[in-house]
Amino acid sequence: LGLFRTAEKMGFQWLKIINKDPRLDGMDDLSGTEIPLHYIFKLASHAIHLVVFYERSGNYLWHGPLRLKRHMDRKFVPFWKLHFGRYPGAYEKPELLLVSIDDLKVQIPKNPSSFLEEMSQSRFLECRYREARAFIQLYPDDASLDAVEFRKRAKSLLHLAALTLDSLGVKFWLSSGTCLGWYRQCNVIPHSKDVDLGVFIRDYKADIIPAFQKAGLPLKHKFGKVEDSLELSFQGEDDVKLDIFFFYEEDDHIWNGGTQAKSGKKFKYFFPKFTLCWTEFVELKVRVPCETLQYIEANYGPDWKIPVKMWDWKSSPSNVQYNGVWPVDEWDDVIQIY
Amino acid sequence: MDEWKTNPAIKPHKKRSWYLAWKYKLMNQRALRKLCQTGAVLFLLVTVIVNIKLILDTRRAAYEEEEESAQDYDDEMLNVEVARRPVSNKKVLDVEVYSSRSKVYVAVDGTTVLEDEAREQGRGIHVIVLNQATGHVMAKRVFDTYSPHEDEAMVLFLNMIARGRILIFTIKDEGSFHLKDTAKNVLKSLGSQVAPFLSWRDMWTFVGKKGGEVYGEKHAKSPALSTWGDPVLLKTEVHLTSVEDAECHWPDTELNRRRKRFCSKVEGYGSVCSCKDPTPIEFNPDPLKDNKVFDVPVAVIAGNRPNYLYRMLRSLLSAQGVSPQMITVFIDGYYEEPMDVVELFGLSGIQHTPISIKNARVSQHYKASLTATFNLFPDAKFAVVLEEDLDISVDFFSFLSQSIHLLEEDESLYCISAWNDQGYEHTAEDPSLLYRVETMPGLGWVLRKNLYKDELEPKWPTPEKLWDWDMWMRMPEQRKGRECIIPDVSRSYHFGIVGLNMNGYFHEAYFKKHKFNTVPNVQLKNVESLRKDAYETEIHRLLGEAEVLDHSKNPCEDSFVPDTEGKVYVMFIRMEQEADFTTWTQLAKCLHIWDLDVRGNHKGLWRLFRKKNHFLVVGVPASPYSSKKPSSVTPIYLEPPAKEEGAVAVPAVPAAEQT
Repeated sequence: LGLFRTAEKMGFQWLKIINKDPRLDGMDDLSGTEIPLHYIFKLASHAIHLVVFYERSGNYLWHGPLRLKRHMDRKFVPFWKLHFGRYPGAYEKPELLLVSIDDLKVQIPKNPSSFLEEMSQSRFLECRYREARAFIQLYPDDASLDAVEFRKRAKSLLHLAALTLDSLGVKFWLSSGTCLGWYRQCNVIPHSKDVDLGVFIRDYKADIIPAFQKAGLPLKHKFGKVEDSLELSFQGEDDVKLDIFFFYEEDDHIWNGGTQAKSGKKFKYFFPKFTLCWTEFVELKVRVPCETLQYIEANYGPDWKIPVKMWDWKSSPSNVQYNGVWPVDEWDDVIQIY
Repeated sequence: MDEWKTNPAIKPHKKRSWYLAWKYKLMNQRALRKLCQTGAVLFLLVTVIVNIKLILDTRRAAYEEEEESAQDYDDEMLNVEVARRPVSNKKVLDVEVYSSRSKVYVAVDGTTVLEDEAREQGRGIHVIVLNQATGHVMAKRVFDTYSPHEDEAMVLFLNMIARGRILIFTIKDEGSFHLKDTAKNVLKSLGSQVAPFLSWRDMWTFVGKKGGEVYGEKHAKSPALSTWGDPVLLKTEVHLTSVEDAECHWPDTELNRRRKRFCSKVEGYGSVCSCKDPTPIEFNPDPLKDNKVFDVPVAVIAGNRPNYLYRMLRSLLSAQGVSPQMITVFIDGYYEEPMDVVELFGLSGIQHTPISIKNARVSQHYKASLTATFNLFPDAKFAVVLEEDLDISVDFFSFLSQSIHLLEEDESLYCISAWNDQGYEHTAEDPSLLYRVETMPGLGWVLRKNLYKDELEPKWPTPEKLWDWDMWMRMPEQRKGRECIIPDVSRSYHFGIVGLNMNGYFHEAYFKKHKFNTVPNVQLKNVESLRKDAYETEIHRLLGEAEVLDHSKNPCEDSFVPDTEGKVYVMFIRMEQEADFTTWTQLAKCLHIWDLDVRGNHKGLWRLFRKKNHFLVVGVPASPYSSKKPSSVTPIYLEPPAKEEGAVAVPAVPAAEQT
């Protein structure tokens, strides 16, 4: 309160943007007082944009979008020039450094360039809890011990994978069944069998396999090759696999490949072009396709809302196409099972 | 076939032909037809316009809602009053009050503020308090003055109400049987002429100003014992005062602004709203040195018992080392008054849309509140869980600060709780003493985040399971053999009498005489000895020191324990196997401690105090401490009484929780 009075005394005009607290979103319907998201202080032709960051579980920083309410002055400042606020954003929690700038003591991120790099890819999507609640009403959650155990293992596997890939600097996102679980019910699908991640082939690093090995996840199989249809699968605890699908970008679409080990048959899965956004899933900050609905529908068709317990990766997806067979002389290279 | 002849008896259908003729006449007139067509088109136009207008209005209303919320944070415009009815410039209220055997209602300016025609409930005197400037309902109570002691409660309530408030009384069914003279006199002093003469099954309504005039009173005597008085409807006008006259003039501070907001909205909280010397709403307890729990979030799980919440928050905010910014009150439902209480103290409140029913509703509310707590405080490794019907001891946070490192480091611990199930006034002595017990007492406890996130949250009971959340937490599948740390003298006091699992009798029997610590800054003794292995060493040491009592005497008698102080005694009871609590239960019963289920044991050992001596009870041979029993001693066996005598119907094992 003192801040605003002092600012006014100095001649500033200020604007406050508040909105619902997303940390109260979840499978339960909670509501509290709205939280401040942005403040804008204006003096003559200068403006200071104060962005309020909140730490979310998953230990990352989140800020909200800047949306003007109807009565607010749309000409208060040139809002379109602001760097923060078009979308909600997620950032790694930076270490701060106290520095002196123009005789003013301020704190800045210890590594300013990496913080600034995050800006262009910071867009954050909330999980669709309202739809998830509706889904659970229709299809009550599996509360069996097996389901609980599986979810626990999937969660820790995902956390470990994220740690490993982050340490290598490899960008990944939630793919296939894991993505569907996030989008449809904000949770791991209990009858899914593994954790699926997507990586652009341009981000591939040879270090991936040894790094996972070191982390306790040995390579279970490797299909395809970097040039075509690469797919890695790592063995987690108790039968839970980690599948990494590598995505290949074309001019007007993106695809990933699949291989049937016993026949050498190749499959191609088509997706419309997508970009990546952050979200929070099982207490982890992860990426998902921003255009999630398109992505999900490409993979699961229009009936993605209906749970399917028996999923055959060779025929069930709606975007799958037979893509020939691997030449027999390549089989040793492109079909490696451990 | 006969020729058909017109039957002269039948009258011709004159009406019909007249109508037809008229109809054809009309239809043949083109002008009339045109007129009807234009009329229809005009009508259509009008409905379309009305619809468009309605859509525009609704949209505008939706924007205006956003506008109003934007006003909240504009410091210049302290728009405080949330009008429950549209603000009007009326100076007079029309009040209707109805009293009858089966139905009561009260309407203020056409809005029904009370209506009760349910059978089998709401008997007695209904009291409504209105704000004398705005006409808003500030309090609504019902006192079943047919039953004893309710009139005393009513007198207490009426005495707490500020002068000038408008009071409305109406009787449903019967309200005089236990309406004693004191209460009658209070009503008389409010201006009632009828109250001193109210008798069996009379109907009565009364509207008056506290400390001022009477606006109306109506009464119907019951003509005979077996019948009720005729229903009574009182219609009267009440003149409103100005807002200044209805408020106190406290000095303008942030605290007093909160106080003003609260006191103009709610009544029945006594001296916090007194014009002179109001009770403080900010407490400045002594800071706690080296406070290890200053950053632990506190979740207060609340329902709709705002007066309980008020009492609880006062004691919580007075505890040494409290961090008000870490407190969040979770209210199970969109109830206004509990939120008002939360805002009075400047705390943060969150409302939860209730799901399910009865104890499942409570359980879902706990889950939502705990999940939200860890979402709001992502760095927290623990959360303190409190309920709205607990008094918190002044050294509650000091107690936690000294013991929390154990919960962090010792994996064999399930929780730290402020409540000793066996800690009654005659069985608890030493506030610096801690125990390990194989149960989860709740009633003011600390939850470890990884226990919640990794184990409990993923398998929390779903909404259709009608289980008590704490009974579920105590099950071996959840507890997994882990123990809780409790103090000998509880750091919380359960005062709730009304609730899902509570009633007056139960409170009297099991909660009223619970010992509660009031000593500030108690230094806990020997905290390290509460670790898993260290505790065993400590027990063995105690047992070595303990004097074996004379097992030929009756342990239920006071004389079983010598008239000493500060000594350690041990007693051996029969306990055939781990789950054999026959003797213990009988002992608990006769010592008047908790006997509804088995609590407070640690490997077949119970620790308490008798006549200020430390008293150990060992179950033989199930307890590993049986080896300390001298061979000459026979473990005492107490037989449960035969079914005919004293077979008390044991209530379904309660959680002693709220709502």
